[in-house]
Amino acid sequence: MRNDHSEYPYKMQGKPDFSYLTVNIPAGQTLKVEAGSMATMDTNIRMKTKMRGGFSRFLTGESLFINEFSAENGPGEIGIAPGSPGDMDHVYLENDIIYLQSAAFVAATMGVNVESKWQGLMKGFFSGESLFLARCSGVGDLWFNTYGAMMEIEVDGDYVVDTGHIVAFTEGLEYRVGKVGGYKSLFFSGEGLVCKFSGKGRLWLQTRQLGAFANWVYPFRPVKSQGGSDD
Amino acid sequence: MHIDLIFQPGNSAARVALGPNESITAEGGAMIAMSGDMAIETSTKKRGGGGGILAGLKRMLSGESFFLNHFTAGSNGGELFLATTLPGDMMQLDLQGETIIVQSGSFVACSDGIDIDLGWQGFKSLLSGESVFWLKISGHGKVVLSSFGAIYPQEVNGEYIVDSGHIVSFDETLQFKITKPGKSWLNAFLGGEGLVCKFEGQGTVWCQSHNPSSFGWEVGSLLKPRA
Repeated sequence: MRNDHSEYPYKMQGKPDFSYLTVNIPAGQTLKVEAGSMATMDTNIRMKTKMRGGFSRFLTGESLFINEFSAENGPGEIGIAPGSPGDMDHVYLENDIIYLQSAAFVAATMGVNVESKWQGLMKGFFSGESLFLARCSGVGDLWFNTYGAMMEIEVDGDYVVDTGHIVAFTEGLEYRVGKVGGYKSLFFSGEGLVCKFSGKGRLWLQTRQLGAFANWVYPFRPVKSQGGSDD
Repeated sequence: MHIDLIFQPGNSAARVALGPNESITAEGGAMIAMSGDMAIETSTKKRGGGGGILAGLKRMLSGESFFLNHFTAGSNGGELFLATTLPGDMMQLDLQGETIIVQSGSFVACSDGIDIDLGWQGFKSLLSGESVFWLKISGHGKVVLSSFGAIYPQEVNGEYIVDSGHIVSFDETLQFKITKPGKSWLNAFLGGEGLVCKFEGQGTVWCQSHNPSSFGWEVGSLLKPRA
């Protein structure tokens, strides 16, 4: 896995708060892009929607719908902006395997296989996030994003992460979901359940969590008045 | 202990490097990641103080949930990352015997030599309109605070008025009273400023550029009503 090499030329701008990606697709080549995140493109580029991930993507709740953009009459440029404001990172996979929280996928070159992977009911359910991870393998570029800023941590041994802050991790890291501290901490620490990683690998985290933000806003919703109309 | 603030000012986080068996106290829910051998203990008070789960529950019922987590590194030291829910900045203060008053939502963490008094009643006698309470923080050591939006110091020498939703923290040397921003109470409510805090004396008020509840109501009003 490398950070200093890419298959297609690209640039990431607006980091860390409003990251967006521009990729130059060579003539005749294709890029996989998360559905709905294409912002701009030149007229050499054609899009087609590919069914990917089979039935499972209906269960993920996330659009692991991936569109393919091909540069047809010469090289083409595409601008990609993820749905939520935040940070973005790139890795060049060399037969590495990296697991993404499914909302984190932004784009990949054709040599990267992206599949939904069932986390298992307990892990998925308790982590409070999607029940699926996107398993990315093969050779090529992979871009992924966060809500909030992104941190990278080299793990050798044990590391504990709040479940909602996991963005991605490399194969080689095992994880299990558990509580921090004693039962008092489980209920009152505000940390809920955490992921305990062990092994050797790389971990990407986000400094903010969209779900926590939505929960924060929730009490500010107006209260439905008695006899008021439904809307 | 070494604290680095990273990704300022938009999505700030604090990276805390602890020496062997060193510990730090953080607001409940602030931990986003930590070394595997970090020990965590939850309480409603600063370590060593009284208080229990019941006191915390009582506070939860009154809309003031405030639990503290005490993190202690293992024998090789460890690291801990802390962050907040809302976007914004963080700051680090080194207290050397001074006392500051901190809005509860802005408290992130403090080192062992710092005392947190959760029972500070300074603003209680008046309806402050904001669903916040205040912490009295004193002692010797490091304190990490957060803001919604940017954070900036406002030096007070004489009198100065700050909207209560924009206060992060202020020196206890300042006198203060909750008051109306204009001549009449009617103006205060029609003008949308609600209640303000009038400081007197000499000291620093740390302000946040945005008022969380103003933003909350702004977003909330765009959502469907709660059933």
